[in-house]
Amino acid sequence: MATKDRKRRGKWDTYKSDDTLAASGSGGSDKDAAVPKAASHNLNGENAPPATFDEFGAKDYRKDMPLKADFSARPLWVAPDGHIFLESFSPVYKHARDFLIAISEPVCRPQHIHEYQLTAYSLYAAVSVGLQTKDIIEYLERLSKSQLPKGVIQFIQMCTVSYGKVKLVLKHNRYFVESRHSDVMQKLLKDAVIQSCILDDRIEPAQEEDQPTQEKIKFSHGNENENLDKDGADTADGKVPADIDEFYGKMDGDDEEDAEIRNLQLLTFEIKQETIETVQKRCIELEYPLLAEYDFRNDTLNPNLGIDLKPSTTLRPYQEKSLRKMFGNSRARSGVIVLPCGAGKTLVGVTAVTTVNKRCLVLANSNVSVEQWRAQFKLWSTIQDKQLVRFTREAKDPAPSGADASKPVVCISTYSMVAYSGRRTLQAEEAMKFIEKQEWGLLLLDEVHTIPAKMFRRVLTIVQAHCKLGLTATLVREDDKITDLNFLIGPKIYEANWMELQKAGHIAKVQCAEVWCPMTSAFYSYYLRSQIARKLLLAVMNPNKFRICQFLIKFHERRNDKIIVFSDNVFALKKYAIEMSKPFLYGETSQNERMKILQNFQYNPRVNTIFVSKVADTSFDLPEANVLIQISAHGGSRRQEAQRLGRILRAKKHSTDQFNAFFYSLVSQDTVEMGYSRKRQRFLVNQGYAYKVVNKLPGMESEDLKLGTKELQLQLLSQVLATSDADAEEEDIKVLLVVLYYADYHYNFQEELADGTIRIARREATMASMSGGQGAQYHAKAKAITERHPLFKRFRQ
Amino acid sequence: MVNVKKGVLVTSDPAFRQLLIHLDDSRQLGSKFIIRELDDTHLFIEKEIVPMLESKVEQIMENMNPETNDNK
Repeated sequence: MATKDRKRRGKWDTYKSDDTLAASGSGGSDKDAAVPKAASHNLNGENAPPATFDEFGAKDYRKDMPLKADFSARPLWVAPDGHIFLESFSPVYKHARDFLIAISEPVCRPQHIHEYQLTAYSLYAAVSVGLQTKDIIEYLERLSKSQLPKGVIQFIQMCTVSYGKVKLVLKHNRYFVESRHSDVMQKLLKDAVIQSCILDDRIEPAQEEDQPTQEKIKFSHGNENENLDKDGADTADGKVPADIDEFYGKMDGDDEEDAEIRNLQLLTFEIKQETIETVQKRCIELEYPLLAEYDFRNDTLNPNLGIDLKPSTTLRPYQEKSLRKMFGNSRARSGVIVLPCGAGKTLVGVTAVTTVNKRCLVLANSNVSVEQWRAQFKLWSTIQDKQLVRFTREAKDPAPSGADASKPVVCISTYSMVAYSGRRTLQAEEAMKFIEKQEWGLLLLDEVHTIPAKMFRRVLTIVQAHCKLGLTATLVREDDKITDLNFLIGPKIYEANWMELQKAGHIAKVQCAEVWCPMTSAFYSYYLRSQIARKLLLAVMNPNKFRICQFLIKFHERRNDKIIVFSDNVFALKKYAIEMSKPFLYGETSQNERMKILQNFQYNPRVNTIFVSKVADTSFDLPEANVLIQISAHGGSRRQEAQRLGRILRAKKHSTDQFNAFFYSLVSQDTVEMGYSRKRQRFLVNQGYAYKVVNKLPGMESEDLKLGTKELQLQLLSQVLATSDADAEEEDIKVLLVVLYYADYHYNFQEELADGTIRIARREATMASMSGGQGAQYHAKAKAITERHPLFKRFRQ
Repeated sequence: MVNVKKGVLVTSDPAFRQLLIHLDDSRQLGSKFIIRELDDTHLFIEKEIVPMLESKVEQIMENMNPETNDNK
């Protein structure tokens, strides 16, 4: 732990120094402007008592944490370093899980024991969905098997005490700062900066014209309370300590604020619209970050869309739950919803749009997914064609003009299109003007993890939106930028548990396997002598891998499965596909050909296998596919692995207890691929997936496979060696082209650069330089910061 | 004249055999140590080199899987 500790702190240091670097670079002196100070605290530091270690390096807290008398009925351990361990077999598991998801980040959720971590961001999120400091501590205390460590209590207090006290509410198109805490209000009002922004500086007790008992928002027809009832039934049979049960009831209605707080008078003052930025920044400096809420019901200036979900549309329980969190007190909160790929993120998005019922801008990250969004809108809601406006490079629906211009629409576009800063065509120019002019009710951000802060800030300056909702499956990145999202969009509102969705049949049951392919001796001897780029190519082109891949394809084609083969390396992609005479597509394949290949894959029973490069990683909806073979991947990117798995996660028709989808990752033995593979799997393993290691496939000998003879293998080897260095690195170059061509993927590339740097650091040394490797990662980030867009600088100051 | 040399028979998979040959060729252990390459899976090597070779191989294996060092 000592090393980890040091590393963690080192990370923060680098982060900070990056920040100062950037600040001095942009001529400003402020540091961390966008993030409240409490957010940079973590529990690894001085608060935690020094832990003792056992012989395996595990922490031993037995002395610090005496158990309570009835500990066996309680499901949690809360460790002094902020990690919480939950027994998933406990009768009160359901209670505890919902609570923990609200207040902490899930770290690892395998079958029996789940690990969560309290972080400043997660507590911020908890407060923003309406939990109070003392409730959090009290409930945690009740669930815990032992007394809560003092450090943890302090941490929770520190992180929550100032959050969520003040809200920025947009009502009747006027901005109000709202709070029930008069002391906080006084403090804000005394501040000179804020005083200058106040429109009318009397504090007025809010005229409670919004109905005191706010009606709950209903999303679907009928099944509102179904899952709640189920919860109730579950608790009845288990022996649940009374205090936990009674508290759960209270927590379950967590949407409503506490009664006593509610009785306090609501204090508001109005601020000038143009000074919002200043007020927000000032409030963060005063340690009272503003929570943005949009009172869309009372927004009379923006016309309603007038669309609804079709009566046939039903929401699954978890989709409803996530939306209930978002529209908790009948206002819309900004934030991020995390659902696995294939679990119906789009429907959540569509429902959010129909609920807000105002103009809405949807941003996706590729043209293909724009089309998918459009189709989904039509499928689930009563929207009419003329209310849907696409704005992409290929399909430009004319921006509404004339009498229609003020009618509300749903506009779907891509990040790159909106953030593009070069010259545009006349038509695009008009469409952009249209987007800039509108006051959007809801900004929906698909695959939100992919947007770089720079592009995102640019989008935010262009788009005026009352409320922002981010959707993603994988809130992880190899760099630490994910936390930026907390303050750019909002806290994480909801995160689903993959395993539970799988059990309930909402996503496919996937068997993950890592197949070890022995290197042939000829390939390995060259492998040992080559540079890294060539090494990777040799590992991918390993004839044994080829044979195993072919075997798997034949095996699954006989079962009438639909197979996608992923390869990051374009040379290998072509070689494999041509050798097996299967269709392939990659960055340079034209849109037209792509569509043809995909349609054939979907509907032609004779095309059961396609080879794709990383262009298909995200937002590539092929519901038929149920087998995925990965022959080459990008380094150790956890996100890529999860996104790829997502391609086959969509629930299959004949859902049984057996596995109905298969994910094979082919790895050449004794090569760098082994290490990467382990790293890549971490995210999915943390979600509860288990990888099966396979090093021998039965029946391979009897199959007629290519590259069986030594001669053929040597021929392949000479081809591989004959490729120029440029070819061996083809992937990167191609990626670059793809980046230029499909600017949507721009971001992937940035991250991967950072990845590359780690890779180099990894090989040079072991443990000691591991933290150095992390440094390199941040170094890359620092570089990116110096090139920051001027707009970004403006925001920071 | 008869030369007597003590040696060790190494059985391995083809890939690992290549690794040993590579170590031998590049003289990473200071000298050559393979006495004879027998077939695809067998090598005959000098006895004295074995302890050194073992630690070297261990090091190589660890470098290949940086993750395993990390999780302590």
